[in-house]
Amino acid sequence: MAPTVPVEKKKAAVRVAQNANGHKRFRSARARLAGMTRKPAIAPEGALKAGTAEERMKPVPTVERTANVAEKRQVSLAQMLVFELRVRDAMTSPAITATATDSLRSIQHLMKAHRISGVPILTNDVLVGIASIEDIINALDGGHINESVEAWMSRKIVTLRDHFSLVRAVAEFDRHGYGRFPVLDANNRLVGVLTRGDITICLMHQLERRAEEAVAKEAALVATRAADEKAHRIVLNTDVKSGDFESAGKLSQRIREVLRARGAAPDILRRAAIIAYEAETNIIIHSLGGRITTAIDAIKVRIKAADRGPGIENVDLAMQEGWSTAGPLARELGFGAGMGLPNIKRCADEFVIQSELGSGTRLQAAVFLQKAGTTL
Amino acid sequence: MKLKSASKLPALLTVVEARPLTDLAEVELSGCYISDLLSDVLANAQPGVLWVTIHVHRNVVSVASMKDITAVLFTCGRKPEPDIIAEAAEKGIMLLSTPLTTYETAGKLWKAGLR
Repeated sequence: MAPTVPVEKKKAAVRVAQNANGHKRFRSARARLAGMTRKPAIAPEGALKAGTAEERMKPVPTVERTANVAEKRQVSLAQMLVFELRVRDAMTSPAITATATDSLRSIQHLMKAHRISGVPILTNDVLVGIASIEDIINALDGGHINESVEAWMSRKIVTLRDHFSLVRAVAEFDRHGYGRFPVLDANNRLVGVLTRGDITICLMHQLERRAEEAVAKEAALVATRAADEKAHRIVLNTDVKSGDFESAGKLSQRIREVLRARGAAPDILRRAAIIAYEAETNIIIHSLGGRITTAIDAIKVRIKAADRGPGIENVDLAMQEGWSTAGPLARELGFGAGMGLPNIKRCADEFVIQSELGSGTRLQAAVFLQKAGTTL
Repeated sequence: MKLKSASKLPALLTVVEARPLTDLAEVELSGCYISDLLSDVLANAQPGVLWVTIHVHRNVVSVASMKDITAVLFTCGRKPEPDIIAEAAEKGIMLLSTPLTTYETAGKLWKAGLR
């Protein structure tokens, strides 16, 4: 890069950039951001003689200006973005170009048609110069508007590489005061043109995208959390002692509480509670002890009861209503109606029982939360 | 003809000479169920009924709670232990006790219009 440009030329280019730095994209966004770009893109006093390249590249002025317009919390994101984003992300591509033999008149028409204020000039696809609107005004003034651009274009061109960060691009704008830079790729091919407006719009879009992404992410997170919560499995392990009539009903109570908190229908509550209660009292009355495992998720309540024996001699008989082997104490307390297993089966949407004399009984019943079943 | 007040709880107290064991609310009963078999109550009682039983065991409260039974009337002058009465009160189940037998209680409730 050879950044030696006459000062007058610099200022002219800047003014032009303010007046018509436009491409057709995102005009409303551009209008909204007018305040951010209106400030002359001239390097601060002394910037030219500033010591190191790193110092000159500091994006501070631009970022501060953005902060006045955008919300404060976006500043750090904008700062981050100018480091992350490359010139190729922001530039207008492909560039509107002309060849060295084109007339200044045709370039004037080109600028008007595309609403641009500078045109890179190519010879055999190699960048040889740049014609600005200032050159056109001078040509109209001087009466050489119909001559070819070759003799009047600026040949001292400062270019940017497409892989430069936007921070560096901003620094180059501040340093040179140009309204635009031609952008070259690694093979020195012209791949686009970058204006300050392009950078602003790129940042705007990135910020918007990030904001949308953040909102979408947040929404997805909330939805997942809600689904998780809804699907969240609660597993209750309850040890049941033989003959412990006093404790009967506590598990049912707990199941009802969980289901009620989850908004399950009263019918579901009742059926699940009855299954748990009957299974529990069966273990209390008939077995040597056992355990009930209750798993509640978004789909169903699954109650598994397993005891340590002695097992049911005839499961078919046990499933018959009124058939009971309950002892006198249980009967005295109102149990032993011979209705426990039939009740469980009636309340359950799924029901399996296995029993082996000498080893014990396993019962599994499920109540689906979505489907209303029998009204018990 | 069934009188409307006949299904209201406090009005039925005098009919069966019952004494309240918990606070009573002016509640309309949906009907009555009489059984001393807990599983039978679980299977067949409707929500909102008055349940008449001789059992005063804690499981009566559990079953009543599970079936959303409004009130339990103990016959033959039986009364549960105070902690069971407290548990029922906590679960919003009203308890009453009558010196009458279950048969007499049933007859009087029916005659008073509780269906």
